[in-house]
Amino acid sequence: MEDDSRFTEFVAERANALLRYGYALSGNPHDAADLTQEALIRLHRAWSRVRRKEDPERYTKVIMTRLHISAWRLRRREHLAWALPETPLHDALPSDDDQELWQALEGLPRKQRAVLVLRFYEQLADAEIAELLGISQGTVRSHASLGLAKLRSAIAHRTPAKRSTP
Amino acid sequence: MTKELEDDLRRVIGRAAESAPQAPSGLSTEIVGRSRRRRARTLAAVTALAVAVVAGGVAVTVRGLGDDRAHLAVNPAPSPRKSLAAQEGRPAPVEEVWPNAVWKIPAKLSDGRKFKPLLFIDDRTILLSTWSSFEKADAIYAYDLGTGDVRKIADIRTPKGVFASGYAVGEGRVVWQTIRDRRTEFWSVPITGGEPAAIATDAPVEGRTDASAVVAGKLAFSVLEGGVFTLPLDGGQVTPVAGADRHHILSWPWVGTPGDYTPDNEPSFEELLNVETGQTSRALVRPGEKFVRCGVTSCVGTGADEKYFHRLRDGSQQRELPQWAPLGLAYDRFMTIHQPMPTGGQALLDLTTGKSGDLGLRPDAKGGSVSVQPGLTRNRLVSYPLGDQYVIIDLLRI
Repeated sequence: MEDDSRFTEFVAERANALLRYGYALSGNPHDAADLTQEALIRLHRAWSRVRRKEDPERYTKVIMTRLHISAWRLRRREHLAWALPETPLHDALPSDDDQELWQALEGLPRKQRAVLVLRFYEQLADAEIAELLGISQGTVRSHASLGLAKLRSAIAHRTPAKRSTP
Repeated sequence: MTKELEDDLRRVIGRAAESAPQAPSGLSTEIVGRSRRRRARTLAAVTALAVAVVAGGVAVTVRGLGDDRAHLAVNPAPSPRKSLAAQEGRPAPVEEVWPNAVWKIPAKLSDGRKFKPLLFIDDRTILLSTWSSFEKADAIYAYDLGTGDVRKIADIRTPKGVFASGYAVGEGRVVWQTIRDRRTEFWSVPITGGEPAAIATDAPVEGRTDASAVVAGKLAFSVLEGGVFTLPLDGGQVTPVAGADRHHILSWPWVGTPGDYTPDNEPSFEELLNVETGQTSRALVRPGEKFVRCGVTSCVGTGADEKYFHRLRDGSQQRELPQWAPLGLAYDRFMTIHQPMPTGGQALLDLTTGKSGDLGLRPDAKGGSVSVQPGLTRNRLVSYPLGDQYVIIDLLRI
């Protein structure tokens, strides 16, 4: 029971951060919620071990990342535990260019996107990304450079004057 | 150029992530329930699924308040920890501890359909709903606890992806809501039965309603985004309640801010306003305290010393709680506590008297278990399935 109350505290404190990570990773609220829920269920099942040996948040993010880049979406999904409000993207990204870049991320293979999210959102070093994804550092670097190149070509039509970096 | 793209990515992903959905306050209860059910499925091929029940409602949009307005004062009571320990072993079953407040009814209607108890219509009648798919109500019924008679009140039809929720009863009507595109629509039907009709409003109701109550010919409601309003039950003008623009209904006429839903673990209902008398109250929250959840008269939370406390809103009469009440207390008075293994299960604890009653729930042979959490909601009805029965508890009769 003590374990469950620690787990509950962890969820209360970190669920929103996990959802943000899931959203960065997948680009949509349903997958963000789905990934978070699934990873938390798995965390709960491994809770006593994870708490003894690892950082639960990192463990959960590893599960979310691996689930996302595996073919997990083909599995039967569980019902979500809550109704999802739709937040218009425009509220978060008022600039057209920013929205365009966010949408260009959707065109990336999941592994490339995961590497970019880990590097630029989670601010992890390539060595950490490699460990988290279970791939070599060389592969991390090639995913990153392929992903960046693809994004660059997707937004290449922009003229420098149109750019709206604050 | 490369540097620029990388900076843009940092900013864009960071900002976009802020649009992520937020976790509902009962999420961990739900997760724990699902985890246990999954373990149950893994361990045995036999399907005997337990259901996780959160009486306060899990989903942000799926909760409602009854129209009952009774307030129960918190009396300084004997320490629950002491009285529990004094009972030596498990408490007696709820139906023995509070025989006037507990019913057991068949868990299926005579046509074999399953249902969900929603709230009390009056002292002996409860409102039920049946559903066509997950959380999608398709009809509501009145169930007479005295005779076992069931009467259909209305069929409910909602478009795909739209759910009826937030039921309230009063002045001979059942009122509920549907939420679409961050706007709320209200519906009403006479308790005696009929065809549901939308309650017309002079302008769309912007926001997702989180609580409602039928009060003196009006529907009072608050929206998740903050703000309390009234609307004539027959339709008409939506009127903001003065001084309650950030508030949520706790228990009419008490409204407060922040509401029940506190994504960043702010203290729930830290500030209260009585919209009839203008009386206000600000709960004392000490540095280092977490998960503080307040009701009309008291607060629970986790202290800087990591111990769970219960005390009056002004900070007086603090005492230790035997366990965490993550959703807060119902009526400033009731919580559920987990029972020690090997039997497990939960008991309902009345902090005013120190009495507790065993809910009868047990993890089954396959590890499945049910969790009941009344929470801050002012719904006097606590219900959960137990075998082929539904247990119905009226908190106001305890």
